[in-house]
Amino acid sequence: MSHKESKNEFDVALINRRDFIKKTAVGAGVLAATMAMPGFMLSNADAAKLANLPMKYKDYNVVFVSFDALQAAHVGAQGYSTRNVTPTIDAMAKKGFNFVNNISVASWTVPASMTWFTGVYPSEHRLTNKFSVFNPPNNVLSNLKKLSPELVTLAEVLKENGYATGGFTGNAGVSGFFGYSQGFDEYFFEKGKFGSMGVSIPKGLEWLQKNKDKKFFMFLHGYDMHGQNVPDGGFDYRFVDKGYDKKFTGSAAEQEALREEGLEKGSVALREEDVKFWRAIYDEKIQRTDARFKKFLEEYEKMGLMDKTIFVLTSDHGTEFHEHKRFDHGFSLYDELIHVPLVIKLPKQKAGKVIKDQVSSIDVMPTILDLLDVKVSDNVKKQMRGTTLVTGLKGKSVAKDVFFETDYRQYTYKRGIQTKDGWKLIYTLEDKSRELYNLKNDPHETKNLVEREPRRAYELEQRVFAHFKSIGHDLNSKQWIPGLNPVYDSQAKGVQKK
Amino acid sequence: MRQFFYRCCGNKSWILTSVAILLIFCSNGSVRASEKASLPREKHEYTNVIMISVDILRADHLGAYGYKKGVSPQLDKLATQSVLFENSIAHSYLTPVAHMSVITGQYPRQHGMVSFEVTRDDVAKRTLPEIMKYYGYETAAVASSPEFFMRYDTESGKIVNPKDIFSRSFDYYGRTMPDETGSTRVNPVAALNWLKANKDKKFFLWIETGMLHPPYSQTVPQPYKTKFDPPAYTPFYDRFPIRPGRETIDRGVPTEALFHVYKGNYYLDFEPVYRLEQKDVDFIRGRYDAGVYYTDMFIGELMDTLDALKLSGRTLVVFHSIHGESLGEHDYFFHHDVYDTEIKAALMFRFPGKEKAGMRILRQTQGVDILPTILDYLQIPLNHEAQGASMMPLINGNEAAYKGSEYAFVDRLPWWEYVLGGWHLEHQSEREAQYTPLEIQKMKDYRLLLQEKIGGGQYPPQCIAIRTNQWKLILRGKSALLEQISWWNFISGIKFPVDSVELFDLASDPMEQKNVAKENPEVVEKLKAKLLEWDAANKINKPKMPAGRSLIIPYP
Repeated sequence: MSHKESKNEFDVALINRRDFIKKTAVGAGVLAATMAMPGFMLSNADAAKLANLPMKYKDYNVVFVSFDALQAAHVGAQGYSTRNVTPTIDAMAKKGFNFVNNISVASWTVPASMTWFTGVYPSEHRLTNKFSVFNPPNNVLSNLKKLSPELVTLAEVLKENGYATGGFTGNAGVSGFFGYSQGFDEYFFEKGKFGSMGVSIPKGLEWLQKNKDKKFFMFLHGYDMHGQNVPDGGFDYRFVDKGYDKKFTGSAAEQEALREEGLEKGSVALREEDVKFWRAIYDEKIQRTDARFKKFLEEYEKMGLMDKTIFVLTSDHGTEFHEHKRFDHGFSLYDELIHVPLVIKLPKQKAGKVIKDQVSSIDVMPTILDLLDVKVSDNVKKQMRGTTLVTGLKGKSVAKDVFFETDYRQYTYKRGIQTKDGWKLIYTLEDKSRELYNLKNDPHETKNLVEREPRRAYELEQRVFAHFKSIGHDLNSKQWIPGLNPVYDSQAKGVQKK
Repeated sequence: MRQFFYRCCGNKSWILTSVAILLIFCSNGSVRASEKASLPREKHEYTNVIMISVDILRADHLGAYGYKKGVSPQLDKLATQSVLFENSIAHSYLTPVAHMSVITGQYPRQHGMVSFEVTRDDVAKRTLPEIMKYYGYETAAVASSPEFFMRYDTESGKIVNPKDIFSRSFDYYGRTMPDETGSTRVNPVAALNWLKANKDKKFFLWIETGMLHPPYSQTVPQPYKTKFDPPAYTPFYDRFPIRPGRETIDRGVPTEALFHVYKGNYYLDFEPVYRLEQKDVDFIRGRYDAGVYYTDMFIGELMDTLDALKLSGRTLVVFHSIHGESLGEHDYFFHHDVYDTEIKAALMFRFPGKEKAGMRILRQTQGVDILPTILDYLQIPLNHEAQGASMMPLINGNEAAYKGSEYAFVDRLPWWEYVLGGWHLEHQSEREAQYTPLEIQKMKDYRLLLQEKIGGGQYPPQCIAIRTNQWKLILRGKSALLEQISWWNFISGIKFPVDSVELFDLASDPMEQKNVAKENPEVVEKLKAKLLEWDAANKINKPKMPAGRSLIIPYP
C-alpha cells in the first residue's frame, strides 16, 4: 500500500508544510506562500533590529532546552497547522532565529544528544549504543569518559570559563551514567525513568534560585512528548475523535509493543484511525509540555533573567507515526526522525527571522561558544566538527550538506547524507542497501530513486563513506553484522539472546 | 567544480538561464562560442573507454617489455603511444579471480570471485562496467575465454551457470564463436563490428582474448601457427605411442602433454619416458609466441579501426594482461603459482591525446589500481569499496601523491587442484587420448584426495605472497598439504618438497630460481609482518545475516 492511498488530513498538512519549507529553501519564488508564514519576510524595521544585534554575548546565560522526541512537523513555527499545540515555542521562535531545516545527527537520544555536548558525530563520541559490552547478564553501560576520554564537553568548556553549570533531565537516554553529567556542577536524572519536565523544571528552578546571580549554563530536558512518557493523571484525549473505538489508549506499553512489532516484522499493521489517534495523543503531549515550558518562562521572567539569557530550543530526534509503517524512533533515518526544530533566541532580541538554510545539530556547540565569546582551547576547536551558525544569524548563508547515523540496538546500522538541495541517501551497512530520495518532490520519502538515479546514488554513497573516513571511521574496515557485531570491537564479547 | 555543476542542475532556473545564454550565442551567429559553452565539462562526458584484456600474456614476451623475438610489432607501436607500467602485478594466476580484481579494484577476498562454485550474489556487483553505466556509457563486451562464459560444477564436471557473473552490467555481452578446432579462444574480431556499429555512442568496450591459453597456438591459423617452430621439428608428445592420439590436424601443444611435463621430464603412467631437450622447450615457447603474434595482429587491426572511425582522439585505451604463464622456468608449463612468470602483467594506458606517450613507469603497481586510475582519469569519483589507488599521480610525475601500496599482494587459491579433482580426466583430452587403467585408477584416488583435503571451497589456503620490485616473499602456510596435493607430484609419482617460506631477490634473480630466505632473515621478517597484516585486514567477506527477534537488544 502506498502512502498516497493512506493519506489522511495529517499527511496533507505535513506535505504542505514540508513541501513549502523545502521548496522555499531552494528556489527564490513562491512569494505568496512565503508571505503566509510569519517571520519569513522581514520588514525594514525588523531588519534594522536584527542588524543591531551584537552577536557577542560575553558572560550571558544560556538555557538549552531539549524537548525529547519532538518532530519538526508538529511544531507550529516549523509549519504545523493542524492544531495549535506549541504557542510558547512558536512565540519564542517568532522573536528569535527559527531554523526550519535543522537535521539531527542521529535518530535516538543517546547518540544524538551527546553531539550537542561534544560537537562531534556519534561515531566519534562513541555513545552509539546503550551498552559498550552487551553480554547478558554482564552488560557494561556506555560511558563517555571511558569510550572517549579525550573529548571535552560543552559544560566543561563553560565551567572552565567560570559558568555555573546545571542539567535537569528526564534521565534515560541522557542519564548521568552515560556521562551526560560530565562538566555539570549539578546534573539531575531520576534513575529508571523517562522523566518529564514536570519533574525537571522544578528542579531546575530550584537550582536557578541559587545560581541566578552567577553566569550560568542550564540544560533543561524532558520526555514529556516521548512514547515512554504518559502525563501525570493520564490523557484527557483532548484531540482524539469522539468516535474512535479505543483500540489503543496511548499507553507506554502499547507504544512499546508497536515498536517491537515493527522491528520484528518490518512493519506494523495500523488503521488510519489508529494513526490519527496516535498523532492526537502526541499533540496532547506536546501541548502539555509547551504549557509547562510557558510556566518555566514565567518563573524565569520573575527572576529578571530574560534579557541576560540566550535560549536554545531544540530536540534530539523526532518520532515515527507510521510514516514508514513503523512506530517510535532510532531504527531509521527518515525525515520524521531527524528533522527537528532549532530556535536560537538572543537576549533583547525583538525581531525574529526564519532561517531556511539546512544545518545540523553538530553546529550547536560551536554556535553557543561563539555567541558567548568564551575562551576555547585549540583542542576543543579542533574537536568540533560543526561550524558556528552565528554567520547565519548575521544573514549569510550557512546551508550545508549534513550527515547522520544510527546504530540501533544492533538491529541495524545506517548512515546517511542530506544535501542542501534536498537529496538524501540512506545507506544500510549490514546489507549494503541504499535509499535515495528527492525531498523536494517527495518529502515523505516514499519513492526510492536508487535505480532511476544511479549516478547520484553512487556519488552520494561515496560522500557518505568519505565523510566517515575523514572523521576516522572507515566504514569498510569492519563487517556490520546485526546480532553478531560487537558494539565496540575491543570490548564486546558478542551478543546473546537475553 | 563538479559540486557546483551538480548543485546548479538541481535548479531549473539555472538551466533556463543557461539555455537563454546559449540562444544568445547562437543568434549572434557565433558558432564557436556556442560550441565552447556547450563543451562537456568532465572527461566521462565525452571519453570512450576500451579495455583490452589478454589472458595468459607474459609481459616479458612483448618487445615493449624487452623481448627480442619480434613477436609484437603492433603492441610495441601501441606502447610508444602509451604510458607503460613495467611492474604491474596481477592478484592471481587464475583468470576470473585476477580480472575481477581489475574491474572492482578489490583484492580477491573482497570481491568474492574465488572459486568456480561462487554464485552471482557472492561476487561484488559494482564493477567497472556497472560504474560506467551510472555515467551514461553504453557497455559492451566481446570475450573469448570460456572463463567469462561458463563455470564448472566440480562434482559432475559439467558446465553450469553460463555467463552469469561477468556479463553483469553489460548492455551487450558478446562471445567469440568456436573455430574449426572447436575452441572459442580466437581473436575477438566481433569487437570491430561492434565498434563500427556504435562509433557514435559514448561507450565502454571490453575486449578479451584467451588465445594464448594452452593448447598453445591451437587457434592460430597457418602460416602463423608454425612461424616460430624450430626447423624440421617433430613434437616429443607425438613420438610416444603409449597414448595414441587420433588427431591428424595440429591443434597446438596439447594441455595434456604440458600437464605431463615436470622438471624437464615427460611422464606417462607415472614414469619419466622422455627428457626434454632445448629444442622441445623452444618449440613450446615458439607456439606460445605464435599466439602472441596472432593476437598482436588483431590489436593492430583494432587500432587501425579506431583511427579509421576517428575514435582514437576521444578513446582511452587500457591494455593489460590478466595474468602470465609459466613456460618451464619453474619446472612446469601452465599457470599454477605466484611467480612473476604468472603474475607480472603487461599494462598500458593510451590516452585520447596520446598524452605522456612513451612514458614508462618503474614503480610497482597492482591490479587493484587499474579501476581507480580509469575512474580518476574520467573524473568519476572513486568507489569507496575499491582497495587500490589511482596511478594518475605516477603518470603526472608526482609519485609522492600516489596512494597505492608499496607492496603487491597475491593470493594463491588452490583452485586449480580443486578443479582437477573434479574434471580433469573428463575434459582435458584434446587428443581424445586413452588413459591406461593404472592412470584412471590413480586419478580417481587423486580426485578423492583433493576433495578430502580442499573440498567444499575451503578458503583461504594460507598460501600468500608479497612483492616489491626488489623482493618476493611467498608464505605457504600448509606446505605439507600443498606437497600432498600437488599435481606435479602426482604425475611424477615423486614427492618434490614444497618450501613453507620462499624469498626471491627479484633484482638479481628475476626468474625466481633461488630461494634466499635463509640468507635474508630480516627481509623475511619484515615482509612477513606486512603480508600477515594484509592477510588479517582482508579476511574473506561473507556476512551471514541471522534473522529474527534475537537481533534486537532489549530496550530500554
